[in-house]
This record gives sequence, structure tokens and C-alpha cells, in this order.
Amino acid sequence: MVSARVEGHSRTSRLLLIIKLAWRNLWRNRLRTGIMLACMVFGLMGVVTMMGFMTGMYANMIDNAISWQTSHLQISQRHYLQDPDINYVITDPNPIVTALSDSSAVKGFSSRVLVDGMVASARASRGVKIVGVDPEAEAVISPIDSHMSDGSWLTLEGRKPIVVSAKTASRLKLMLGSKVVLTFTNTNKDVTGAAFRVQGIFASPSSEFDESHVYVRDEDLRAAAGVQGIHQIAVLLNSADNFERSQVEQIKAALQAVSDPADEVRDWPQIQPLLATLIGQMATSNAVVLVVFVSAMGFGIINIMLMAVFERTREFGVLMAVGMEKGQIFALIVSESALLGAVGALLGIVASSVLMAVLQSTGISLGNMAAGLGAFGVDTMLYPQVSLATYQWVFVAVMVVSVLAAMYPARQILKQRPVQAMSEKH
Amino acid sequence: MSIAINKLTKTYHADSEFPVHAVQNVDLEINSGEFVAVMGPSGSGKTTLLNLIGGIDTPSSGSVMIDGKDIAELNERQLIGFRRDHVGFIFQDYSLLPVLTALENVEFVMQLQGLSSAECRRRATELLTKVGLAAQMHKVPAKLSGGQQQRVAVARALAPRPRFVMADEPTANLDAQSTAELLDIMQQLNSEEGTTFIFSTHDQRVIKRAKRVIVFEDGQLKQDQCQ
Repeated sequence: MVSARVEGHSRTSRLLLIIKLAWRNLWRNRLRTGIMLACMVFGLMGVVTMMGFMTGMYANMIDNAISWQTSHLQISQRHYLQDPDINYVITDPNPIVTALSDSSAVKGFSSRVLVDGMVASARASRGVKIVGVDPEAEAVISPIDSHMSDGSWLTLEGRKPIVVSAKTASRLKLMLGSKVVLTFTNTNKDVTGAAFRVQGIFASPSSEFDESHVYVRDEDLRAAAGVQGIHQIAVLLNSADNFERSQVEQIKAALQAVSDPADEVRDWPQIQPLLATLIGQMATSNAVVLVVFVSAMGFGIINIMLMAVFERTREFGVLMAVGMEKGQIFALIVSESALLGAVGALLGIVASSVLMAVLQSTGISLGNMAAGLGAFGVDTMLYPQVSLATYQWVFVAVMVVSVLAAMYPARQILKQRPVQAMSEKH
Repeated sequence: MSIAINKLTKTYHADSEFPVHAVQNVDLEINSGEFVAVMGPSGSGKTTLLNLIGGIDTPSSGSVMIDGKDIAELNERQLIGFRRDHVGFIFQDYSLLPVLTALENVEFVMQLQGLSSAECRRRATELLTKVGLAAQMHKVPAKLSGGQQQRVAVARALAPRPRFVMADEPTANLDAQSTAELLDIMQQLNSEEGTTFIFSTHDQRVIKRAKRVIVFEDGQLKQDQCQ
């Protein structure tokens, strides 16, 4: 027992000796080590910024889509999802509404009447989805009331107000107070219509959404179309992190349990599968960026280690001669490389996190790309996002590559016998 | 611990159309506590002989027996242990680790042996004091003169209490005073610690101090005399 403890202690002290030697060897050629560290730091800053930019862009796209279009959950009748007929209303909304009202995880929900139709002004017309909402409930789950470029969001007062997007207003030459006619098919399959007055003009980050949605009060649309029920309940949760889907799935299951079997609860990844795949794509693209960087860095470290090891071949021969085991020499070379990687990764992560803190405060303006970004529902001011997990992955990747990079130089040295290594003259 | 060399031959084939016989059919016995100089011109096989005895090179034929055991029969781990625990090496170019201080260089081999930090420190301090470097023990090799570095190398070689020390032309880079001081130290350690010293040299100052001189020529033992 005692001898095992003594052996363990001496093994620890030999490991500490190797690490001490490796650390000092690392700084034998300060210029060379410094240049390599500078490469790693600036490279990591570039990689982390790129990853943060991409994550920020995808996150913004998803946040905007959830805020404006899908919410976290939607409940509709199954038939309506296959064929958006005006008569396919939610079979029994009461238990759903009760469950939503009782849940502390729910920030808000909005019951909607949805009708596909045409909006026409004196100048032009275009096809739109007419969304009939309770103005107050909708304002809780959507940022629309704070994105009015002109006029105001729907109110309970006034006669048949309508809110259109700036894009629709431009196409139809509308301004506040302009009269528009909505035409659609009612529950009896008859084409009908009603006149509305523009009360507000909004602008969302998505040009596609803006072109295809107009908002009216649900009671006005119900009266015009003869709809008795509701087509959709949109639910927004309190969850701040849209990448974390467990709460969404939990609430979805709870709602499905109280819903009529004819009604279906869908979460946002089901409603917009493309957005859901973006999360996977984001991880993949970040991994590709990281792999490319660490591979390039790995070759740099191999180069440095080859130089550092081969110029000391005689020294390694002497170490073998005086009784250093091959495993210890291997550990020494790997430790030098690992310490280089650790210092580079830590400095790089510190520098990157400072840069990220600045960019998260100032944002990155992409105003000159507004038209292109609008097509994807992305804001023109982006805030890069880098999670702690990303930094951890970067550190692990750099460390793994640093250790792997030492294998070849170490193997070349260990192939030699002491007398061979000692005969080397640099 | 005695050394018995039987029909020892080392032949190199690399980088040459014809084989080079660095050591040929050497028979030799060296007893514990001897102070032996192996002399001869450059390329005569002195260093190869020391490398073969020290276990850092392997013979082409013949054997090196240490206390009756052929070191060729040791596996790699045993051979490393043999070198670490029983052989001290002194090289012409000192071969100290430049990133360690004199004290750390001397402690290094003892730490490889697994001795405690306190024991390593005590022994290293004692040896560096013996070789006259008590005031310089915290300096790195680059801050020491050639003679001082070679004294550190002697202390390092003796630190693990080896049975014999292989010194390959230890005075080649030293001036007369440094050589005399180094030889005084080695003779003193030879008598105090009973360590066997085997030098390869063509330095007459070393040969004069040796108790036994072995002359090598073209890889063959030409003369072996005590003085």
C-alpha cells in the first residue's frame, strides 16, 4: 500500500518534471512560439467572429420567424392543414384555451380567423392572407404593434380598420385612411367582400411576410365571411432561448392531450421545417469552419514541432542516454505541443470574447444588404452570438489538434536509438 | 560492479560502400573503482567502445558483461533502467539541458529515478558544492563557462550514484586550468565514491592522471597498461 503510494507520488513528480521541462522548452525560441501564438489568436478571432456572425444570423432568422409568423405553437383542425377551407375551424377550442390560460409557461395566445382573399385599392389588387385577430391578444404574441411605420395597430374602436404592410401600401398606393376592399369566399362558397380603411402600416423583417398578410379585427372578418369558430390558435411561450425546444415539446404534448383528436398541435419546427433544419445547418457550418481552421493550425503546429524537435535531436539522444524512457520523451514532445495549443487557445478565446463583447454591444450593420436579408427575414443589424459551449468546442478542437500534431515529430524521434540521435549535428 | 568485454565488434554499414569496423574483437576487463583512459587517434573506436559499454549502442557481435550479465540480453526498459541507475555520461559538449539551471540539471536524472524532491535537492546541492559550483547552482548553462558547465555535467553524471562513468573526451573544450580542476574533482570523486571512471581522450593531461591507459587503433586494442 505504502509502496504503491510512493510509486504514485514519484509518477506524479515525474509528470510535473516533464510539464516543467515542456513549458520551458516552449519558450526557448520566443519569436517562433510568439509568431505561432499570434497566428492562433488572430485565426481564432476570425473563426469565432464568423461562427458568431452565422449563429447570430440564423438565430435572428428563427427569432423573427417565431415572433412574426409561427409563434412557438399553433393549433388548427387537421383538415385545415391539408386544405385551408374556411369551414375547417377548430373543433373544440375551449379546453385548449383553458389549458393555455392556466399555464405559466405561456406568455400569450391569439385566436385567429384566417381567410385567403384579395385586397384591392382603386389602383391595384393582390392576393393576401387576411388575418382576423383580437388586437390585444395578437399584440402580446407578435411585435407588430411596435413595428408600425405609420398609423397605429388595430383597436377595438372604429369601423372596420385594416393594417397593411408598407410593401402592400406601396404596391396598392395606399395611405392612412385609404379604403380597400377585401374579397374572399365565405362559408357558403359564395364570393363576398367588405370595405376596410387603412388604420396602420407595418414593416416586418421579412419582405415575403409583408407582401402576403393583412390584419383585421376577428369580429369584422367573422361577420363578413360568416365564420363561427376560429381557424388557428397561435401560442407564444416565455422561453427566451428558441434553440431550446424541450419546453415547446412539453407544452405541445400537454395541449395535444386536451385537444379534440380532430385538432392538431404543431410546434414551430413542424410549421417551418426549413427553419428547424437551419439549427442543424448552423451546427454543421460552424463545425466546417472550425475544422478548416484547426486543420490549417494543425499543419502550422506540425511545422513548428518538427523544427523544435529536429533541431534538438541530439538533446533527445542525451535524454535517452541518461535514462529517460521513450514514453517520457513522447510525453515531453506532446506536452510541448499541448501547452502551445492551450496557451494559443486561451489567448485566442480571451481575445475573441472581448471582440464579441464589443460586437454584441455595437452590432454589425448590414444596411446595404437590406433587400437580400429581407427575403430571408433577417434584421439589418446583426448581433453575433457565441455560446459558452462554442468556446469549449474551440478549446477542445485546438487541444486535440495540438496533441495530434505532435505525433509525427515524436514518432520520428522515438524511432531513433540514443547513439543515432546523439550523432545528429542539428 | 565489473565490466568484462568479450570479442566485442561493432561494424557500421550506413553511408559507406564498405563496412566500417569501429571496434574489432576487443577483449577487456575493467574492475570497480578504476580510473581508466582509453586513448587513440580520432576514429580509432574510443567513443564507440564507451557507447557499447554504456548501453547506448549495440554490438554487432561479442558481449559486454556487467557483473556477469550480458547487457545485450536486457530488454529496452531494462536497458534504460541500467543506464539510468548504473551509468553516468559526460560528453565533450557537456550536453546539459539549456532550459534548466545547474541544480535542476543535476536533479533531473535523480527525478527520473523517482527519488523524492528533498533527496534530489540534497544530493544535487552536495555534488555541486563538491565540484565548486555552490555559488552558481541557480544559473542556467548559458551563464556558465565551459569548465563550469563540464563540472555540472560531472555532478549530473554522479548524481544517481552510478557504478561507472563514461566520459567522452571531457576536457576537449577546456583550457588547462579548467582541465586540471576537473580532473582533480573526478579523481576525488573516484576515490570518495568508488565510482569507476572510463575516459576516451587523446589529451595527455588526462592520460597522465589515469591509473590505467588503454590504447586503441583502427578499432583494435593495441596496448593496455597500468601506470
